Amino acid sequence: MTSATERASLLFEGAVRRKESIVSPEGVPMSVEVASYGDRLAAFFLDSLFWTVATVLAVIGIMLAFGFSRHAMALSLAIFAGFLLRNLYMIHFELVWRGATPGKRLMGIKVIDRHGGPLLPGAVIARNLTREIEYFLPMGLLSEGAARGAPLLALCLGLWMLLFTLLPLFNRQRLRAGDLIAGTMVVVLPRRLLLDDLAEHQARFVFADRQLRAYGAFELQVLEELLRRGAGKDVARLRRDVADKICRKIAWTEPVADPEVEQFLRDFYAAERAFLEREQLYGRPKASKEDTGKPASSG
Amino acid sequence: MSVVAEGTPAGEASGPVPAAVPRLILRSSEFRKGREASWRELEGFIKEVERRDLLALSVEELQRLPLLYRSTLSSLSVARSIALDRNLLLYLENLCFRAFLIVYGPRVGIWRSAADFFRRGFPAAVRGARWHILLSAFCLLVGLVAGFVLTLGDESWFVSFVPADMAGGRGPASSRTELLNDEIFAPWDGFAKTITGMATFLFQNNTTVGILAFSLGIAAGVPTALLTAYQGLSLGAFIALHWNRDLTIDFIGWLSIHGVTELTAITLCGAAGFMLAERVLFPGRHARLDNLALHGREAARLAVGAIFMLFVAALIEGCLRQLVASTPLRFAIGGATGMLWLAYFLLAGRRAKP
Repeated sequence: MTSATERASLLFEGAVRRKESIVSPEGVPMSVEVASYGDRLAAFFLDSLFWTVATVLAVIGIMLAFGFSRHAMALSLAIFAGFLLRNLYMIHFELVWRGATPGKRLMGIKVIDRHGGPLLPGAVIARNLTREIEYFLPMGLLSEGAARGAPLLALCLGLWMLLFTLLPLFNRQRLRAGDLIAGTMVVVLPRRLLLDDLAEHQARFVFADRQLRAYGAFELQVLEELLRRGAGKDVARLRRDVADKICRKIAWTEPVADPEVEQFLRDFYAAERAFLEREQLYGRPKASKEDTGKPASSG
Repeated sequence: MSVVAEGTPAGEASGPVPAAVPRLILRSSEFRKGREASWRELEGFIKEVERRDLLALSVEELQRLPLLYRSTLSSLSVARSIALDRNLLLYLENLCFRAFLIVYGPRVGIWRSAADFFRRGFPAAVRGARWHILLSAFCLLVGLVAGFVLTLGDESWFVSFVPADMAGGRGPASSRTELLNDEIFAPWDGFAKTITGMATFLFQNNTTVGILAFSLGIAAGVPTALLTAYQGLSLGAFIALHWNRDLTIDFIGWLSIHGVTELTAITLCGAAGFMLAERVLFPGRHARLDNLALHGREAARLAVGAIFMLFVAALIEGCLRQLVASTPLRFAIGGATGMLWLAYFLLAGRRAKP
């Protein structure tokens, strides 16, 4: 059953989505979607923008308040304030907003515990502290190497450390070093709506069990998606095609007129679902039309 | 039963039957009708919390939230076994996950968790890591002895052990009076200069070294050992430089006022790195990554505490070191900080619940 849902998702959303399964403390598995590189990078840039602005404001404020005016002083003050502010910013928001900084929130992604437990403050601190060596240190070394006369050592060191930065590219769950240490993972948090039950309506067509045996759960869910698509010329034509195909497959002799196509499909969907759900309840689940129920093919 | 039109003989029905078609009764639809109200209620709560925060809910609503979460979770389990409605399954899964994030989200803000950390977490982490701390201290000591012995024999080693910006003009060419006047008993520069000096030094050297020693524990601890030993190496070189100019006692006094805190912190960072390394090298019953995730937070606690100590060390260094221009007094302050840290690590948070 679940595999049919997954197969349908794969058909509609493509293989881009990377799913992982976590088990809630109550023991119910939930599938979550790993956040894409683009989302995470964008969230990081947004957050960087926010704390950079905050740092610049703070530095200007301190300089004005204490009457400093020297260039060197401003630089080291900025480094200090930057370190403090960015870590406080990230840790604070990931704690208060349950795993989302403003950037992550805008991109609709969230930090969760990889094993389905609660997100603990220790984990949040660990994953943010590690960002220092993943990003800020190599960047610092690279820019220092570029700025100074003897850049080779700094450059090599910076490049070597960039390997840490690129860690998410080399594992399935797209974990960076901080996620490894903290046991966390970044996932997408979509919002799904509960739509009407398609089986709830007055039926006009009646199908026999023999005819309903032709399809399985996967075809049923594809049909559901087709019925949930809004009205349109393409959809109407697609529905016509599908209805014709179904008629051929189940040996439906009566012609189905154009205005009746939707009614026919809805009735077929409801009957098919009732049939498959009953079969599933009796211990005879049918994943797709190729599924004959024999162990060799169902495995 | 959730069957098709009762009384319709199989095989006979192959055309529209306009006359009174019995309504289909689907078990999954009935199930949905019975539970939908509570799902909608939970969804309303979640939306409110996601938009604002947990305080957006009233006390009664807060009490209902976990109940609704559990019942929706059981709805999901049931739906998975009886329903084939794709939209319903995806909706329930999504709803449960969003509710899960709220019910099991972190419940403390940054200040509460910081207070808790200093009262219990940090000293407990230090107590739990005694072998790692010993190992880290051993690395530091090995570096220190090596640096001392090598530089004692040939002062040109000093240049290779101590980077130029850290040496700050000190080196084999420095004379005794230079060291005494410009370093050990140099006048205090005043607040402004001290603060920036502190910031530069702290964040371009110590903290970086600390975070590196911790995080590079992932690489089986070899970089951690090297980094820790290297810290000892440059310290040993400094001591040897002063030994040759008969300034050892004064120098150690000058160092101890902040060095006790600073060296302890470096040792702790190394220990945190070794904790990570242990989890990677000896995963025990778990997979390596799982083991790292299970214990990484413990190590991170140690590292965070150590970074805080580095901050304290820098404060002492910036504000106190040059103000206190007497070696015995410096020793006294250094010793006192050492005792304070020791008492804190050994005694704090022992009675409180873990």
